[in-house]
Amino acid sequence: MSNPILQVQSLVKSFGGLVALGGVDLTVEAGEFRAIIGPNGAGKSTFFNTMTGLLRPDSGRVTFEDRDITGEPPHRVVRRGVARTFQITSVFPELSALENVQVALLAHARRSWSMWSRARALGADRAHELLALVGLDGSAANPAGTLAHGDQKRLELAIALAGEPRLLFLDEPTAGMAAQERLEAIRLVHRIAGELGLSCVFTEHDMAVVFAVATRITVMHQGRVLAEGTPAEVRARPEVQQVYLGEAA
Amino acid sequence: MNARHAAPLAAAAALLALPFGLTDFWIFIAVEVLAFALYAVSFNVLLGYCGMLSFGHAAFFGVGGYTAALVVKQSGLPPALAFACLPLAAMFVSAAAALIIGFFSVRRTGIYFAMLTFAFQMLLYAIALKATPLTGGDDGLTGLKPPGLLAQPLAYYFFALSITGASLYVLHRVVTSPFGYVLRALRTNALRVQYLGIDVRAHRLAAFMLSGAFAGLAGAIFALSNGNVFPGWLNWTASATPVVMAVLGGTASFLGPALGAAGYVVLEVLISGRTEYWSLAMGVIIVILVLVMPEGLTGVWRKGIIRGGACATPLPTREAR
Repeated sequence: MSNPILQVQSLVKSFGGLVALGGVDLTVEAGEFRAIIGPNGAGKSTFFNTMTGLLRPDSGRVTFEDRDITGEPPHRVVRRGVARTFQITSVFPELSALENVQVALLAHARRSWSMWSRARALGADRAHELLALVGLDGSAANPAGTLAHGDQKRLELAIALAGEPRLLFLDEPTAGMAAQERLEAIRLVHRIAGELGLSCVFTEHDMAVVFAVATRITVMHQGRVLAEGTPAEVRARPEVQQVYLGEAA
Repeated sequence: MNARHAAPLAAAAALLALPFGLTDFWIFIAVEVLAFALYAVSFNVLLGYCGMLSFGHAAFFGVGGYTAALVVKQSGLPPALAFACLPLAAMFVSAAAALIIGFFSVRRTGIYFAMLTFAFQMLLYAIALKATPLTGGDDGLTGLKPPGLLAQPLAYYFFALSITGASLYVLHRVVTSPFGYVLRALRTNALRVQYLGIDVRAHRLAAFMLSGAFAGLAGAIFALSNGNVFPGWLNWTASATPVVMAVLGGTASFLGPALGAAGYVVLEVLISGRTEYWSLAMGVIIVILVLVMPEGLTGVWRKGIIRGGACATPLPTREAR
């Protein structure tokens, strides 16, 4: 364990007087499937937004594959090989599922400035492959906004994968799903990540989901890391049970 | 030839035949329609594709018009040469204006973007009014006319038709290109576009410049036909015109705003010839049309006639509200 893909050192972010991140450290090894858990308001989303460039940290350092990416805007971070999905599903509702993935593919191929070529057929084969990978090929022609919630989540995953990331951030990948759907959804991500050799960092509220797939768990509480370890280790920590597991059950 | 090409070809044939059945006055109006069609379509590249409501687009139409007037009157070039330079000059200067205005404006979205574009346009209006040696101040620049044969309405119509036709072709290529796809994606979810690795602000600025350049070209075409350029072209009321035209025609289709422009211009001519309260009548008619056809003329067309599979061009569909 000495090949970290992501290293975060004492990341601090505050909004006015409210300290959202009070010096967070995180090290993710390549190939990990890391869960970040914590009660609402623990700072998980702020942590994601700060690591991926949407928010500028007040201090601290984010290193991806030995490169300092602290404070880089999202599009730069993404181009380095990072992708992310959002708690509130983020697709292009008016474009078809296929076009959603095509846009992601052309962005990845640095074709977004191409103003004269035809976009319709661009990357269509690869886009179909990606839709098939997440089990959505049957809905390729449907506008993304008309897909069921779970299908939109899978579409967002296909969009993220189109960028051939090496590190994938998933902000509550099972938010808004029914209990049985959640396990299925996270297993899909887990399987694909395994096949592609992706490292993943995800936040999640459902403990069944977390313990089903996480290789390690980081517990956040009030903008700090409360505990970290394997699922068994974390489960055994009394302060974790007190702060989070107890109240979530 | 298939159904995809039938409609555009029929439209092209109709536009080529059109002036032969018209009086000089109506040919002059047809040129106005062509210029405003280009203006409205270029405006809608921002509104319909990027979701950016520019409320200062008259800035570019006006800058294009003034550039044309200055090239013709002040450049000292022989008339034919000046005229040949005019389209590119108008586009270049408008694009440069759009670069400056856009640099500050595209940082904001929604109402703040609209207000910034509005403010810059009023700034240009003030310059047009006060920089009298250059712009003629209140009186504007008058007595413009195309050289030689092109001064005849029929010839100028075909000149305007070819410029507008070529411009619409270029704009259509752009909105169906990868860049155009990015713009459509931007309209509904700029955050996601950022997380595809795309510099959102740079793409918005490029779209703004493209739109400004063609709006400027439209202004130049109209300036030479009209014979005069006035500061009023840069006033804020002039910025409402492309908004109304685009909404009237339908912002969800590429050519919708062009139809809206035709309807607007012809309606204005017909009504203003009958009553001095023409702007009141226009207002009432537009309110009724928008209420009856919330998706514009092209929305009615797509719903009623070619529903289901046979849509002529891949249009950026918009959910009915």
